Amino acid sequence: MNNLSKIEELDQAIEVMIAGSNPHFAAQDAEVTELLSVASELRQLPRPDFKTRLKTELDWVVSERPLSPVRSPLAEEIEDVLPSLFGKGYGTYPIQRMNFAASAALHAVALSLVLALGVLAFKDKPRANVAVTTHFVPLSEYIPPAGTDAPHGGGGGGDADKVNASHGTPPRASTEQLTPPVVVVRNSDPKLAVEPTIIAPNMQVPQSNQMGDPLSTLMNPSSGTGVRGGIGAGDGGGVGADHGPGLGPGNGGNSGEGFYHPGSGITGPRLIYAPDPEYSPEARAAKYQGMVILHAIVAPDGRAHAIQVASSLGMGLDEKAIEAVNTWRFEPGQKDGHPVPVMIEIYVSFHLY
Amino acid sequence: MSAIANVADERLLIEAAQQDPSRFAELYEQNFHRVYAFVARRVHDRAEAEDLTAEVFHQALSNLKRFEWRGVPFAAWLLRIAANTLADRWQRASRSQEVETDDSQAIEPGVEDEVERRTMLFQLVDLLPGDQRLVILRRFVDQKSIREIAQEMGRSEGAVKQLQFRALQSLRTRAGSKQ
Repeated sequence: MNNLSKIEELDQAIEVMIAGSNPHFAAQDAEVTELLSVASELRQLPRPDFKTRLKTELDWVVSERPLSPVRSPLAEEIEDVLPSLFGKGYGTYPIQRMNFAASAALHAVALSLVLALGVLAFKDKPRANVAVTTHFVPLSEYIPPAGTDAPHGGGGGGDADKVNASHGTPPRASTEQLTPPVVVVRNSDPKLAVEPTIIAPNMQVPQSNQMGDPLSTLMNPSSGTGVRGGIGAGDGGGVGADHGPGLGPGNGGNSGEGFYHPGSGITGPRLIYAPDPEYSPEARAAKYQGMVILHAIVAPDGRAHAIQVASSLGMGLDEKAIEAVNTWRFEPGQKDGHPVPVMIEIYVSFHLY
Repeated sequence: MSAIANVADERLLIEAAQQDPSRFAELYEQNFHRVYAFVARRVHDRAEAEDLTAEVFHQALSNLKRFEWRGVPFAAWLLRIAANTLADRWQRASRSQEVETDDSQAIEPGVEDEVERRTMLFQLVDLLPGDQRLVILRRFVDQKSIREIAQEMGRSEGAVKQLQFRALQSLRTRAGSKQ
């Protein structure tokens, strides 16, 4: 049997094996039979991201454990620690013990002051226990797979209205979005008013008396036929007919810069610096705990952009999580050896001791 | 000499991890595929295998300080934890299949060889060239069709089938030479 036939026969046998339709399928070629045996074992191969995720979990558990106390060898050699103070001297230079004692005392006082100030500064501040796990998962069926062309950014939104979005000025551009824009305000008395923004660079846009889609020609106020907030016929909290929190055609927010998913030759970002988030005063007072899930795009500069709250916790903790992630630093994902923007999911857990 | 050196190294690694739990990561890397292969052989469901594997390593980390070196590989202790975890899971689910939980016979004879063979195969997948490894993961882990894989990789279906064939040939050859 030539190689091409073997390749086809093997693939057919694997199809049958995976489908489970004929457990007694027997290949004609001996080599194909051997390879099928290897293939059957591979059905139980673990997912690579599971191994990584479990390791991260275990590292987090370990970080909460104190290290075993180790007896310092210096404790047994105290007399050799300060030979200049307790020793007999060097050569012709006499030992000035008073000078060394005064210097040691002054250093001790200075160190005590620094420690006392540190304790006072962080007194009664419960430490936010943070578990950070990065998951590379498909976030929505609306996000297209990675292509071979350069990605394009943009946005979309809507209010599930019956008519298209009306003409107007888009909201202020920002690097983060806490609430999407609307044309038709359905809650005129919000408990916590937040300025709507889109995730995009500052751009020159036509000015108008009302918020809306600058490309629309309709004047009757409407947020548009899209979904998930925003203005337009798309989704994602932005302005436009596509997907994302940005403006105009494209996906993923900003303009001219979209994102990839790991896989297909794209490596995911690696977290290298992640200071813990702060606890909000209201959450601390209410002893509120839980987990915030964020979506973010890690850009080639190693920082998280277009941070969105995928699962909200409230009580000001969403904002604290975003604030912390804004300071995090990543080794960016790569394609063909070049850094590229990659979308990730971040879990930020808040716990009080 | 190599086996003695490996055993001595493992003992040092365990003692280091008992002093500094952050060193447990090295024991995890060495034994992950082994534990997963053992568990996956028993449950045949990927999500449950992952759940049980995670439980085994969490238990191992919690009880590491109680581990006493008796000349038996660390993997044997992990597999005993895995067997007990499986037994507990099945008892809770009221299944009829029984697992020997006596410490002296936690793993039935012949299983260790099968687990080692599968462990080696799983480790060899990590050593495949990037495109072959991707085809294997997509085909057997994600259970995607050749067409879907070809679309994702931007290659023809014939090219993907060839990669699949070469990957399996490479795994068979390397697994055979290591044995």
